[in-house]
Amino acid sequence: MGKDILILAEHLEGKLAPSTLELVAKGRELAGQSGGAVKAALLGHNVGGLAQTLAGTGVEVLHADDAALAEYTEGGYGQAARALIEASAPRVVLVAHTAQGYDLAPGLAGALDLPLASNCMDVRLEGDKLVVVRRILNEKIQGEFELASEKPYMVTLRPGTTKPAEPAPGGKATPIPVAVDPSKIRAKFLGLERPQVSDIDIAAADVIVSAGRGIQKKENLPLVEELAKLLGGVVGASRPLTDLEWLPKTRQVGQSGKTVRPKLYVACGISGAMQHVAGMKDAGLIVAINTDPSAPIFEIAHVGIVGNVLQILPLVVKDLKG
Amino acid sequence: MPLNTVVCLKQIPNPDLQFSIAPSGKDIKRETLNYKTNGSDEYALEEAVRLKEKHGGRVVALTAGPKRADSMLREALAKGADEAVRVSYEDVGGYDAGKTARVLALAVKTVPHDLVLTGVQSDDLVNSATGSLLAGLLGLPHVSVVTKVEVQGTGIEVWSELEGGLSRRYALPLPAAVSIQFGANVPRYAPLPAIMKASRQTIKDISPATLGIPNWDAVATPYAFAIRKLSPPEAKGHATLITGSPEEQAKKLAQMLREKGFVRR
Repeated sequence: MGKDILILAEHLEGKLAPSTLELVAKGRELAGQSGGAVKAALLGHNVGGLAQTLAGTGVEVLHADDAALAEYTEGGYGQAARALIEASAPRVVLVAHTAQGYDLAPGLAGALDLPLASNCMDVRLEGDKLVVVRRILNEKIQGEFELASEKPYMVTLRPGTTKPAEPAPGGKATPIPVAVDPSKIRAKFLGLERPQVSDIDIAAADVIVSAGRGIQKKENLPLVEELAKLLGGVVGASRPLTDLEWLPKTRQVGQSGKTVRPKLYVACGISGAMQHVAGMKDAGLIVAINTDPSAPIFEIAHVGIVGNVLQILPLVVKDLKG
Repeated sequence: MPLNTVVCLKQIPNPDLQFSIAPSGKDIKRETLNYKTNGSDEYALEEAVRLKEKHGGRVVALTAGPKRADSMLREALAKGADEAVRVSYEDVGGYDAGKTARVLALAVKTVPHDLVLTGVQSDDLVNSATGSLLAGLLGLPHVSVVTKVEVQGTGIEVWSELEGGLSRRYALPLPAAVSIQFGANVPRYAPLPAIMKASRQTIKDISPATLGIPNWDAVATPYAFAIRKLSPPEAKGHATLITGSPEEQAKKLAQMLREKGFVRR
């Protein structure tokens, strides 16, 4: 059993995912506990520049370049990652809990019969044991779980939970040969598609008033719109509302929508699930109105009102107009 | 081309509830919980039924869980599943997702399948792992976070959602495993006659004996799993609360917004 921590870097369209630098930071902590080194696997094609960037954080970057790795496929990335894991037997394989990460890591854990802990807020090694901290049940409960195995631990780390690694000396990019057999890539990449944009860009707004399930009915949206107007802002939404098509997808704030950093963010009837919070936690001033005092939104909001948004909003609007 | 689809469903405690920790510190108190079908699993079921309606084939709704999960399976039958299977693996909390996936994988192998669908994540434990873990265990090609499935020739084409609203499009041969994203379709309501009919349908039971093993402990995992403790989350911070009657709360908020210069004149 090895002692190294292997992180799987993520990149898209020539840019490293911000979560990759968080993996480097967490990987360092784990390497301190295991007594090994952090190595970052960068899989791709013609991404030598990214390998240098990543090496700038002080880690050794194992850079696998192959045309079959040009785009993410579980088959291509899976083959390359598998070869690296089997060759180096790392103590922990650290992957970001992103749409790509939670496709790749559990798939590998299943195929290679490895222990897996996913969507972790924190992770540490205690001797041979892996201890993970997870948030469950709509962020209302925290759980600490322990896995014990001789095999490499596969871990996905929730983005935004660890401070990203700063630039540091001592890193290097090492090209490594990997044999990826394109005929074994069964899920074939066909293309990257972007949403049709014919709406305002909420990410450019200074003030966003967002609606969540707490507004109960589409007919109540004008309340939110009115407040947004009085504050010179725009209307955003949590995922359930855009799924119901009460508002267009372009208004969705969160992991699968827009990441926003307005000066003011008013969350109206939004519980604050991780997927939403990931997209707005860095707003300057966060105001939350929600009936549930245990809603996780109050954890990241600066100012909170425990109350029914349908009752509070009309009163606020009236006051602001008066 | 007719498709045999297995949809894996999970019955979860309604996540909008308040939760408290059981005296053992290793589970939540369950006495007063009510349960519902996991959100994204509803979309997975709907996708399976739509594929069947368009291309023919069969839909098998499968779950691992206690007897109470039968109500969820009957709902799935009423919404268009042809068969319901409950794996009698009764790990109440189900915190060890790797074990559950290994039990499910054994069960799925006993059902003919071209396509294995799951929801993208369970809203209670939010592992977002079971779909691709199952795929890995079964040796199936997989794509996660899928918002659209189309049959193309002898395979399927899927759209996989990324952060920021981008999508990757993939072609997959069958058999394959796909996890379905929230909002992929509009799940139907079950018509009353179908609910009546479903209440009389048999739910197939898969026990260790069905699978030819002595008990669930015989399903090996490559690790030992333990729950150390559950606790209320350590709040990283907390909002300053505006208290009072709704009128007072609204007034104070309006005043604060004015003072901070956010109100347009």
